[in-house]
Amino acid sequence: MNDKEKNHEPAEESGEQLQTEARLIQQAKEGDQRAFEALLKLHDRRVFVLIGSFIRRRQDVEDLAQDVFLKAYLALGGFRPGAPFAPWLKRIAVNTCYDHLRKIRRRPEMALDDLAVSEKMYLAAGGGSDDRVAARDLAERVLATLPPKDRLAITLREVQGLEIAEIAHALGCTRPAAKVRLFRARRAMQATLQRLIRQEEQMGNRSRRREQNEVS
Amino acid sequence: MRCHEAKTLLEREGKGGDLFIEDEALARHLAVCSRCSQAMKAFRLSSELLGALREEIEPGPSFYPRLRERLATSGVGEAGVIFFQAWGLARRLVPALALGVLLLAGVTVPLGGFRSPLPVQVGQTTEFHVFSLEELNLPAAVERPTQDQMLAFVLMETEGRGARPEAPGERSGK
Repeated sequence: MNDKEKNHEPAEESGEQLQTEARLIQQAKEGDQRAFEALLKLHDRRVFVLIGSFIRRRQDVEDLAQDVFLKAYLALGGFRPGAPFAPWLKRIAVNTCYDHLRKIRRRPEMALDDLAVSEKMYLAAGGGSDDRVAARDLAERVLATLPPKDRLAITLREVQGLEIAEIAHALGCTRPAAKVRLFRARRAMQATLQRLIRQEEQMGNRSRRREQNEVS
Repeated sequence: MRCHEAKTLLEREGKGGDLFIEDEALARHLAVCSRCSQAMKAFRLSSELLGALREEIEPGPSFYPRLRERLATSGVGEAGVIFFQAWGLARRLVPALALGVLLLAGVTVPLGGFRSPLPVQVGQTTEFHVFSLEELNLPAAVERPTQDQMLAFVLMETEGRGARPEAPGERSGK
């Protein structure tokens, strides 16, 4: 899958669309809220997908999207005319997500007992299950063990398909530092999953042995 | 195959490389090594879980009415927009101005204040510097001379360099 497909972004914005966008930006800058709303409707899905990759609950996604759009409205005065709007809005969304991740309490350790039944079943099936809700819950739980910046790095890369340079820009660090964060996040995520798989296998073996004992 | 070799192959697969599970040696190793087998499952599961986060979400029906309310109550009217425009402009101008002042100070201070470091060319042959009042040794009570007066003074000084008036008590060599 290439990056553009991963991003869910249109291949290229047409000239007409860019002109409409520029006109709407100008009107919104002059205080026209309807124009601003029309402008947002051109980009809202991308923002929702981006926020949705960090936050599980739909209501929280909507709340955060509201914050992003409000911030964008307030900052529109500083928007350079002629600059692309989508990356600018994306940057605001990433910053808002980062602030949110910093606020929520991180759980550095996670055990098998913390998982819901559906998540345990998903884990036992080795991910082969079609239960997307369980997969999302488990993903969120595993990612919650990571530091906010590492979580941001791995989500932007693996879910949003951003380039290293874009991630570095979003995190406010150098490219090598972003790469290190990404590597560390992958390692930590795999280590957590490996530990959970081991615990799950041990538990499975124990219950199998118990069943055998009962039969014998 | 050893564990570290298996791990290298799995890591390469995890980074989006070729699938090595077809590799016979690796399959044999995974069948007997529970640790590597768990690592492989973790690799696979990790990419599946991240893939599950890729979900299309659209704003609900109440999203935009709520946003309209928030924009209205945020107190940002036309005046607010003008304020934020000015604020945006100021935010860009202030660092530029600060940088300009720093650069100017960086150039002028090491040269002894804000005196012009460049020589002023008068006519074709006479070259002199613009001096401060203190350097010209003018009495403080005297009004600030005009540029012409200063120029005349400096030219006089320059011409008089060859035939400097004798200081009291100094013997003439003639």
